[in-house]
Order: sequence, then C-alpha cells, then structure tokens
Amino acid sequence: MTTHEATTTTATLERGRAAGRARRGAPDEIAIRTLVYALILLGVAIVMVPFVWMLSTSLKSQSELFVYPPQWIPTPVQWSNYKDAWQALPFNRFLVNTLFMTLLAMFAEIFTASIVAYGFARFRFPLRNTLFVILLSTMMLPGILTLIPKFVMWRSVDRIDTFSPLTVGAWFVWGPSFVFLLRQFFMTIPREIEEAAVVDGANTVQIYWQIMLPLVRPALLAIGVLSFQANWNNFEGALIYLNTLEKYPLVLGLQFFGDSLSREAPKWNLMMAMSTVMAAPILLLFFLAQRYFIEGLTVGSVKG
Amino acid sequence: MFSWYALTLTDYVVVGGAIIASMFLLHRVLRWLHVGREAATGYALILPWIIGFLVWNLGPFIASLYLSFTEYTILSPPTWIGVDNYVEMFTDDRRFWTVLRFTLGYSLFNVPLGLIGALLTATLLNQNVKGVGLWRTLFYLPAVLPAASTALLWRWMLGTDGLINFFLQPFYTLFNLDKPAWLTDPQMVLPAYIMMGLWGVFGANTVILLAGLKNIPRDLYDAAKIDGAGRISTYFNVTIPMLSSTLFYVLIIGIIGSLQTFTQAFFIKHTSRAGTFMNVYIYQEAFERNHMGYAAALGWIMLIIILLFTLLVFRSSPAWVYYEGERAR
Repeated sequence: MTTHEATTTTATLERGRAAGRARRGAPDEIAIRTLVYALILLGVAIVMVPFVWMLSTSLKSQSELFVYPPQWIPTPVQWSNYKDAWQALPFNRFLVNTLFMTLLAMFAEIFTASIVAYGFARFRFPLRNTLFVILLSTMMLPGILTLIPKFVMWRSVDRIDTFSPLTVGAWFVWGPSFVFLLRQFFMTIPREIEEAAVVDGANTVQIYWQIMLPLVRPALLAIGVLSFQANWNNFEGALIYLNTLEKYPLVLGLQFFGDSLSREAPKWNLMMAMSTVMAAPILLLFFLAQRYFIEGLTVGSVKG
Repeated sequence: MFSWYALTLTDYVVVGGAIIASMFLLHRVLRWLHVGREAATGYALILPWIIGFLVWNLGPFIASLYLSFTEYTILSPPTWIGVDNYVEMFTDDRRFWTVLRFTLGYSLFNVPLGLIGALLTATLLNQNVKGVGLWRTLFYLPAVLPAASTALLWRWMLGTDGLINFFLQPFYTLFNLDKPAWLTDPQMVLPAYIMMGLWGVFGANTVILLAGLKNIPRDLYDAAKIDGAGRISTYFNVTIPMLSSTLFYVLIIGIIGSLQTFTQAFFIKHTSRAGTFMNVYIYQEAFERNHMGYAAALGWIMLIIILLFTLLVFRSSPAWVYYEGERAR
C-alpha cells in the first residue's frame, strides 16, 4: 500500500467518524430513536395484552366476566377460582400422570440423543454422513403419517390406554433435532481431551460419561428444557392413546374441562385459571433457564 | 390403579435395558467380525437411532403407504382396493378440498406475516436499544406458553363480546360493520386462526432472527459506512443478505410447522366445518370414523404437499440465500 492510499483511507475514516458524531446528536436521530422505542413498546403491548387478560380473567368472579368495557383489575381478587377449578376434575391425578410421563420420556430422550450425537460427532465409520442426512430428513416427515401404523403396533402389543406409547418410544431417539444440536456441541470440543483420557486408560463409556457429558452441559440443559416443554404439552399422543379419564395428563384434562364447561354457562374464569396452571411450570422454567431456551431455539439457524 | 404405572415402568426398564445391552452386543459382534475399533464403537453408539429409524420411521412409513391402498377398519384386516382412496379424495370428497384450501390458506398468510413481523421487530431490537434482554423475553413469552393454554385464551378473547371485538370496536363503528362472530362464522375462521397463530409464532421467529442479526460482523457495517452507504441501503445490501440463511431456516420451519397445526384446533372448537386443518381431518377419519386406509392416503398427500413446499424453497434458495464463504466477493 502506498503512502498516498493510506492517507486517503485514514481521511475517509476520519470523515466517517466525524459524520457519525455529528449525526448522533441531530434532531432526526433523536426522532428515530424515539420512534424505535415507541414501536417496541407498541409491539410489547400487543404481545402482552392477551397474557395479562388471561391472568386477570383467572382471578375474576363469574359476574365480572362480561362487564363492558373490560375490567382489567378484578375486584375483589378471587383466588378461590384456582382451587375450584383444580377440584372440578381429578387434577391431582392428571398432574401425577403428566409428571410421570414427562420425566420418563425426558430421561430416555436426552440419554439416547446424547449417545447417538456422540457417535455421529466423534467416530468415523462407513456411511456415517449418509446416515446423518437420513436422520435430518426424518425431521420433515409429518408425524400424522406414521401415526396410524404406530397405533396399530401399540395395539398389537396391547398397550392402548397405557402410558407406554408416550414414554417407552423415547428410548429410540424421538427428536432428531436434539441429536443435531448435541452433535454441533460435541464437535466443538477439542479431540486432545479424549486422546489424553485414552492414554490414561479410560474406555469409551468412561470418556462419554465422565468427560464428554459434563463438557456439553449447556447443550444438555437446552434440550432438557425443550424436551420438558414438548412432553408436558404432548396433546396429540395423549389424545390418541389414552381413553380413561384417570390416565389423562394435564393437557388432556384441560381439554376435557373446557368441553364440559362449555355445555353449561361458560366459566371462563375457571378455564383461564387452569390455562395459567398449565402454563405456570413452563413459564417458571423459562424465567429460570431462559438462556437454554434461546440456545435450543437458535442453534439450528446459526449454521444452517 | 398403580398397576398402570408399574406396567409402563416395567416396559420402560425392559426396553431401555435391551437397548443398552444390544449396543454392547453389537460392539462385540462387530469386533469379532474384525471391524475396526472406532467404526465398531460408532455403530454401537448410533444403534438406538438405527432401531428407532427402522421401527418408528421407515416401517410405519412403508406400512402407511400400503394402508393407503386398502380399506381398513382396525377391527378386520386391511383389504386391497388399489387407488380408490386417492380417486375418492380427488373426485368425491368435497370436504377434502375445503380442508386443503383452509390449511394452505392458513400457511400462506401465517408464514410470511410471521416472518416479516418478526424481521421488523428483530431489526428494531437490534438498534442498540436499552434492555434488549427484557424486550426479547417479553416478545418470546407467547411462544413459550403451551399451545393448549394459548388456544383456550384466544377462544375466550375471540368471543362476540370478547376482548378482540372490544379493541376493534372503533374500527367497526367507522365502517359501520357488525361485530364479527369469529368462532361461528365460516368467513371469519381463517382470520381468527391467523391472528392466534401470529401471536405465537412471531416471538420465536423474533428471537431466532435477533440471534442472526447479532451474528453479523460489525466491520461489515463499518465498511458500509466508509463507503458512504445510508441506513436503508446498508439494510438491504448488508443486513438482509447476511441474514438470508437464518430467514431461510425460519421459513422452512414455519412452513412445516404451520401445515401441521393440530392442538390449537382442539381447544378453539370452531363450530364451522370450514375451519378444519388437514391434520385434524386425518385424525377424525382415522380415529373417529375408523377409516384408517383413507386417513393413511390423506397423510401421504400431506407429506407430498410438505415436500413440494420445502423443495420449492430449497430450489429458490440459490437466488436469495447468501452463504458466507460460498463464493468470493
């Protein structure tokens, strides 16, 4: 680079900076920033209003439901809605069922996804890439397509109206996206760590369990929250496989509750209370582990 | 009563144990066959997926293709009827066309609107605003809520005397319109679902796109500034191309997801038959009317539609998706 060119570049840079400084204080800059904040606040309002309405309705008395114009703060706050709604159906049992299925499915799902991801990330074997592409392409398969044969299979082993179809299948890697996510993480870990362990005489199981898993903890937590969310909300599976009221998970109980209420005068306050209860653990988890939600959501997009 | 839990717990332990045992067994067998140590371990580790793929994907996939050419009520074995299911679908089943039109219409609005809205929001949040974390959390909140809760909430708000009509009242008065019956009028079912769908999908897209925006190297903007590019031209010549691979991802996920809408429909309980999604229709045919063969055929049409759309987006991608490092600038 000649001196002349260098000076020109520096000069341009200086001019750019000066212009930037000048622009920052300018009235149109202030106007733009005000507009940006105004639009963000407007967006937040649109997004939050239904949510606030759900909470507000859940604490109202029956007579306040259809007051016009809408009343945002219930007077008095009727906490008993939650108790009444919870006792209208065997919701205690629904909760136990949901926890039972969610925990079993979650453990098997995370366990197998991490093993398979480790295999794909770290070991060379013939057809590895082909198999991985097949794994990714199963994500596009609509669930409803394979549903009928699966139903027939569970029926042939006499497992309809049991929790098994909603839990045992998780041993066979339910979420290809979880494998993808974990594989991305395993690939970022330097190979030297494993090589050192091999020199020390560790076997594959030890390396996986004691070295690799702790290193991908953030990714495990990310798929953990996603898996919890998916199993907690699993409506389609529960709807198809479970028939007895006592075996319902919360989500199916909520649907039954909605149906039974709409036959009489709709008690929207109770329904919104149960909607809130259904959402509460997910929201709690979201506020505690927001990082991992976002990690799980965005990892697929970053490197296509 | 507790025997239900015991039964599933037994199934769970037996299957889990069998999976782990078969992994070790496969490793032994492969080593005995003189397969290299690394390859043997690799195959053993991915075995759960291989079994899962064969039993839960490939097998049912082929079985549903077969079933789509049969008449099958689950109580008696399937009888082969050739392409009759497909012929019936296209020529005889009025409902099929209504359902298809509704499902496609929903996706056609929901996906682009959800993408554009999220892009605008993400762009706003990327303007060095204070408290990005808080705003992001608030925007993301609806997407985190269970679909069941969301749909019940919207059913409540979309009532004729509900919150939505309250907010839109000035608009109705201005144009001298009646309050729409979102949940009973066949004309209003599509807008009602689109509104609800957007509320959910928009926040998740915003978070993904914001992550994409934060990933764009700063020096590209500095370079654009030096070149004297204005805000607008920087946005369209730097930001959008650099974000295109993320937009592509969001688009694909959005199409696949919105075509398969299911849970919401069960909680909204729209009274009109005009508002039935394809997946709900398949469910009704299979499990309420016991037309398993016909439902399998519908499932195959659904797969073909999803593949067509995905292929379309993939095929168009070289024209608008820019991958860094793919070509020299």
